[in-house]
Amino acid sequence: MENHPCPYGGYLKCKNFFCEYGNALSEVLHYCCDVLEKIAQGDTSQKIDIVVERNAVQKLINSINKVSEELSEIIELTHELAIGICEHFDVLRRLQEGDFSATASEDSSVEVVRMLGQLINKQRDRFVEYINKIKEQHQELIQSYEQQKTIISSIGVAVIVVEEDMTIEYVNEEFESLTGYTKKEVEGKMKWTEFIAPEMLHKMIEYHKLRRINPSLAPRQYESKLKDRNGKIKDVLLNVEMLPYTKKSIASIIDISERKKIQEQLIHSQKMESLGFLSGRVAHEFNNILTAVLGFSGILYSKIEDPQLKNYVQKIIEASERARDLSKKLLLFSRKEESKEDIQEISLNKFLNEFSEFLKPVIGKDIELKINLPEEEIFYKIDRTHLEVIFMNLVTNARDAMPKGGELSICLKRVSIDAEYSYTHPLVMPGEYLLIILSDTGIGMDEQTKQKIFEPFFTTKPKGKGTGLGLSTVFGLVKKYNGHIHVYSEISKGTTFKIYLPIKETKLKHSIDKNALKGLETILIVDDDEQTRGYISSMLKDYGYKVYEAKDGQEALKIFERNKDQIALSLVDLIMPGIPGIEVMRQIKKIKPEAKVIIISGHPVKLKNIITVEKTISPEEILFKIRNMIDGKE
Amino acid sequence: MADRSLDYCGLKCPYPILKLSALYPQFKQGEIIEVIADCPTFEKDIKAWASKLNKTILSIEKMGNKLKVTIRI
Ligand SMILES: Nc1ncnc2c1ncn2[C@@H]1O[C@H](COP(=O)(O)OP(=O)(O)OP(=O)(O)O)[C@@H](O)[C@H]1O
Ligand SMILES: [Mg+2]
Repeated sequence: MENHPCPYGGYLKCKNFFCEYGNALSEVLHYCCDVLEKIAQGDTSQKIDIVVERNAVQKLINSINKVSEELSEIIELTHELAIGICEHFDVLRRLQEGDFSATASEDSSVEVVRMLGQLINKQRDRFVEYINKIKEQHQELIQSYEQQKTIISSIGVAVIVVEEDMTIEYVNEEFESLTGYTKKEVEGKMKWTEFIAPEMLHKMIEYHKLRRINPSLAPRQYESKLKDRNGKIKDVLLNVEMLPYTKKSIASIIDISERKKIQEQLIHSQKMESLGFLSGRVAHEFNNILTAVLGFSGILYSKIEDPQLKNYVQKIIEASERARDLSKKLLLFSRKEESKEDIQEISLNKFLNEFSEFLKPVIGKDIELKINLPEEEIFYKIDRTHLEVIFMNLVTNARDAMPKGGELSICLKRVSIDAEYSYTHPLVMPGEYLLIILSDTGIGMDEQTKQKIFEPFFTTKPKGKGTGLGLSTVFGLVKKYNGHIHVYSEISKGTTFKIYLPIKETKLKHSIDKNALKGLETILIVDDDEQTRGYISSMLKDYGYKVYEAKDGQEALKIFERNKDQIALSLVDLIMPGIPGIEVMRQIKKIKPEAKVIIISGHPVKLKNIITVEKTISPEEILFKIRNMIDGKE
Repeated sequence: MADRSLDYCGLKCPYPILKLSALYPQFKQGEIIEVIADCPTFEKDIKAWASKLNKTILSIEKMGNKLKVTIRI
C-alpha cells in the first residue's frame, strides 16, 4: 500500500470524500442511491461529482447525472404546462362568469400553451363582438319598437289590441279621446264588447270568432257603432287584422259620424236642388196663368161700372198680385230666373254701409246692429238686388228670432279655404272666398229645425206670418253664385249664418284702371339681382316712367346724389351685399329729407314707418303703390 | 384561521396546483385557503400559480419537510 495515490493515505476514514480509495465501493453506490432517490422526488439539482476510476461505476454515475439533467427538463415542462393550464382554466372560468376583461397570457414558453392562450383570447374577442352585435340589434329593435309605438299612439286613428277573450290589451291616445276612457281604465280591464252598441254586438262577436279560425272568414273592414263613456253612439269604421304569431287582433277605429253627417248634407242639398227645379217649373207655369188672370181681371175692371163688382175684381187683382209675388219668390229660389248679362262689380263695403241704414228701421230699436267690415275694400260681381234679398231675409229672420231684442252682427271678410277645410266640408272647394257672417243672439233652433230651414215652405212661424220661402231663396241665390251657406245654431244662444262666395279674380285687376298706374316720373331702382331689377325696370318703362338702375347701395347713392331733383321715388331692395337697403334709404333721406323710398323684399316684412312691397305681388300692385306714394296718398 | 384547508401531502408537483385550480370555481372571492404539501418544488409552483392568477400569498410556513401556504383568493 505504499504507492497509495491518495495524498491523505489510508483506505478507510479518509477525509477526502471524493477519493476513490477513500470510500468503499459500497459507499459510493449508497451515495448514488441517495441521489437517485432525491431525483425521483423531483430534486434535479443533484449531481454526482465523484470521479471514479472503475469504469462501470463511473458509467453509472454519468448515467445518473444524465437522468437528472433530462428529468429536470421534463419536470420544467410539466410545471410550465401545469401553470399554463391553471391560468387558462382560470381565464375560461372568468369568461364563463361573464367577465370579458379576462385575458389569457400568450407568453408561455410552451408553444401549445401559448397557442391555447391566443385561441382563448380570439374566441373571447369573437364572442364579445357577437354579443355587441346582438346588443346593437337589440337596441335597434327597442328603438324600432319605440318608434312603432309612437306611430301607433299618434297616428290620429284609434288603435286597440284585443285578446282572444275580448280583453283589450292595448289602446292608443286616440282611442282614449274617442271613447272618453283612459288607458289605465281600459287596458287589461275592459272588454271590447263593452264598447260596441248592442245591435252590433252579435256581428262583432261572430267576426271575432271567425277571424281566429281563419282570418279570411271575416271582413277586414266593416262599419259598426261604438258606445262611448257617456253612452253616446258613434258611427265607426273598423279595420281589423290578426297580429302575427298570436291570437290577438289589432283594430283601427275611425270615427265616421262626421262623414255620415256630411253625406246626409250632400243628399239634402241634392234634394234641395231638385225641389228648386220643380218649384221653378211650377212657378213658371203659375206665372203664365197669373198673367192671364191679372190681364183679364184688368180688362174686366175697366169694363165694369158697378162699384160693388168693381170692388170684387179689385180683390181678385190684389190676390193675384200677391200670388205673382209669391211665384216671383219661387222663381228666384229656383234660380230659373234669367240672369242679367252685365252684372257690375260692386263694393260690398259700400253696399253694406248704405244697406245698414235701410236695415235699421226693419230691425227696430231693441236690436243692436254691429257691422264689421275689413279695411280693404271688397269688390264682388253680384246683382245688387240679389244681395238685398239675401240680407233682407237673413236680417228679418234674425229679427224674428230676437223678439226681446239682442245683437245682430254682420261681418265681411276674405278667406282662403285650404284643402283641409274642404275635406271636412266636401261641398266647399279650396280657394279664395268672400265670407259673409251674420250672427244673432236669438232663440236659436234645434237640430231638426236646422235640417229643414232651407226647404221651401218650411216655417215655424204662424200662418200668414211666414211663407217659409226666405231661406230657400237665400240658398238658391247663394248657389247661383256657386257659393255655400252654413248654419250654426244653439238653442237660446243664437244663430250664425256663414255664406261663402267664391272669388274668381283678384279685385285689383278690376278695380285699378291701367291708365291710373302710368306716370312720367323718374324712378331709381336698386337691386343686386339683375333679373328682378331688369323686370321691374322694364315694367316701369312700359308704364311711362324713366328709370335709373343701380346694382348696389354705393352705386345707388352716387346716382341719387347726381339726380336728386329728378328722382321722384326710389325702390330699394332690403337685402343686398354691401350697404343694406335700410341704410341706403337713410343715406338717401340724408341727401334729400323729403325723398320717397319704397323698400322691396323677397318675402313679407313689416318695418315700422317704412313702406315695403313684396317682389312676388302682382306688377299692378307694385305700380299702384308707386303711384300712390308719388301722389302722396301713402 | 383559514376558511378551507387542503392537504396535498404525498402528491408530486405539479399535482397540488392542478388540484387547487380544479377546486377554484368553488372558492369565494376573498376566501382564505391553506394548502399543505410536501413536494420539494411545491413552493416554487404555488408562487408561480399565485402570481399568474393574481392571488396573494399571505404566509409560507415550513413544518419539517412539509410546507403550509396560506393564500387569499
Ligand atoms: N236666425 C234664426 N234664428 C232662429 N230660427 C231661424 C232663423 N232663421 C231662420 N230660422 C228658422 O227657419 C225657418 C225658415 O226660415 P225662412 O226664412 O225660410 O222662412 P220664414 O222666416 O219662416 O218665412 P219667410 O221668410 O218666408 O217670411 C223659420 O221659420 C225659423 O224657424
Ligand atoms: Mg224668413
